[in-house]
Amino acid sequence: MTGPTAAAHQAVAAAGALGFSTAGQVTVIGLCALTAYLAHLALAVFNDGVRPFLLDFLHGRTTRSATGAVSFGLSAGFVFGLGAPMALSSGVLNPWLVFLPTDLLGILAPKKWLAPVLGGAWGAVVVFGLRGANEAAHELPVDFLTAMQQMSTPILYLFTLFPVLAVSKQFGRLPGAVAGVVELALVVVTMKLWPKVFAGAPAMAAGVLLLIGFAVAKDLRQRRGDRARAADERALAADNRALAAEAGVPAQVAPAEAPAAQAEDRPATTEARAATTQARAAVQRPPVPDDDPMVSLFSASAARLRRHLPLFMLLGGGVCLLAQLHIFGGGEATSFLIAKGRSVEAAQVDFYRAFGFLPLIATTALASGAYGIAGFTFVYPIGYLLPSPWWALVCGALVFAVEVLALSGIGRVLGGLPSVRDCSEQLRGAIGATLQLALLFGSLLAAQAMGGGLGILLVGGLYLLNEAMGRVVVRTAAGPAAVVVGGVLLNVLYWLDLFTPLTS
Amino acid sequence: MTKILTGGLGKSEVAGRVTGLGLPGVEIVVSSDMDAAVQLRAGRADYFLGTCHTGAGASLGVLVGLLGSAVCHTFGRSVPTAEQIEALLDEGKKVFGYAVDQLDAVTPVLARAIAARTS
Repeated sequence: MTGPTAAAHQAVAAAGALGFSTAGQVTVIGLCALTAYLAHLALAVFNDGVRPFLLDFLHGRTTRSATGAVSFGLSAGFVFGLGAPMALSSGVLNPWLVFLPTDLLGILAPKKWLAPVLGGAWGAVVVFGLRGANEAAHELPVDFLTAMQQMSTPILYLFTLFPVLAVSKQFGRLPGAVAGVVELALVVVTMKLWPKVFAGAPAMAAGVLLLIGFAVAKDLRQRRGDRARAADERALAADNRALAAEAGVPAQVAPAEAPAAQAEDRPATTEARAATTQARAAVQRPPVPDDDPMVSLFSASAARLRRHLPLFMLLGGGVCLLAQLHIFGGGEATSFLIAKGRSVEAAQVDFYRAFGFLPLIATTALASGAYGIAGFTFVYPIGYLLPSPWWALVCGALVFAVEVLALSGIGRVLGGLPSVRDCSEQLRGAIGATLQLALLFGSLLAAQAMGGGLGILLVGGLYLLNEAMGRVVVRTAAGPAAVVVGGVLLNVLYWLDLFTPLTS
Repeated sequence: MTKILTGGLGKSEVAGRVTGLGLPGVEIVVSSDMDAAVQLRAGRADYFLGTCHTGAGASLGVLVGLLGSAVCHTFGRSVPTAEQIEALLDEGKKVFGYAVDQLDAVTPVLARAIAARTS
């Protein structure tokens, strides 16, 4: 897959300049205007934490400013603690820097027309501000941005192991060990047989397949068990002793788990209005908590999103285009890969990452009636790989259309597969754990590259200080942020004639 | 006996922390937002502690939509004091979300405040 395009990106990356073309600038500004407008209409927000709170806003139970306060409280730390340091250190845009502020600006905008204006203005600030900061940083005697290129190796190789961690945590030591051995063997074999291919690629794919296989198998086993139990219960309820005798099954009924949906007295919750459907959950698939408020809330939300399909298609096209321009990395670690021109690896990393977030985005969207700005984030990897911007616009729009239309089906499936939901949480946890180590180690490598022992002291010290202070900066971003600050300090020391740069 | 459910990214860690406190009259069960919604609504559980990166997304998940924001609270990435938690419990909050990287600091304070209310 590494063709001439990859070589071209490599060349761009090697030049180290964050050359936002006119197309890039227009895309970022236009997309920010659109995302702010969607946030204003409570149709989509990037922050998964803000999304559930939009339901009350939609129903008029809370004000614009109160929702804005929630958005600010949940996003500020990620803009300053993750988005900004990542963008500064990689020279590539990321969703936290671009989309979290547009969530907030869109929600706060008092007038509909003002939301896109504010969003577009933020887009301009990001494009021109980041470019300026980047150019300035490259002019410095101690070039910490080039040192940051050290990040990509630990990220790629450690990230390879994330399925193993997820399998271990969810299914225990033996399956974890099996997954570990399989992955390691695949890495070694790939290095030997296909030196051109990234060694972790087949291993990661195998690991993810193992994880999903274990989860689905577990759910199906459980469902069969539940079905058998439910059948027994029905046989009992028919209080037909003859029938029970005929079936010859000892009815194992867990009394506590007796048909809860019927015995349940529904307290008048706030959304009871939405739940006036008096349909008693007649069909009882035990693993699915089929109480009707959830079903009716989900279907109302899915219907609302479907009504705005054209807007979402536009959004999908825009986000996919941004990824295609290679000025944007969607995941925590992808920025460094895009900066090095490794689009294929970046696509792989973000593709797997998407599965960690899919259930979360689906359930929050169905529970609130607002979608995610990047949808299920599949448009990121698709965008990295596509050859032309026009393709990105078309494919992004189509992907979003499919996602929005499939949303209620996905919700139903997830409701019946608790282990798969659990699996995605383990995936996110595992991705977090591998990236945490990779980014910390990569930061120390970068520190050594720019300032040797003193660099390690500054960067490692700042990281430890952040830990001791209760993590002012999100842990994932603490390393890269420490490199930026450490790099600035080294430059100050250079000007004071107290430090000689290692590399010219 | 107070039954606390936990869900989200750090659910096993939260359960471990609470169990480690050895609080009398408190039972902690690893669950998920969807199951917790059903159980809390039916009165089969009393509280829910959720964790994720933001302290709200996967932490609270569908609970805000299904139980209403009146009983839900997110600390985001902040670490609350015992007094703040007391006030929230007095307001009738049952569902708490907080950041997974602040888990070690928040969980004990929350669990102790809840345990203090069990008689």
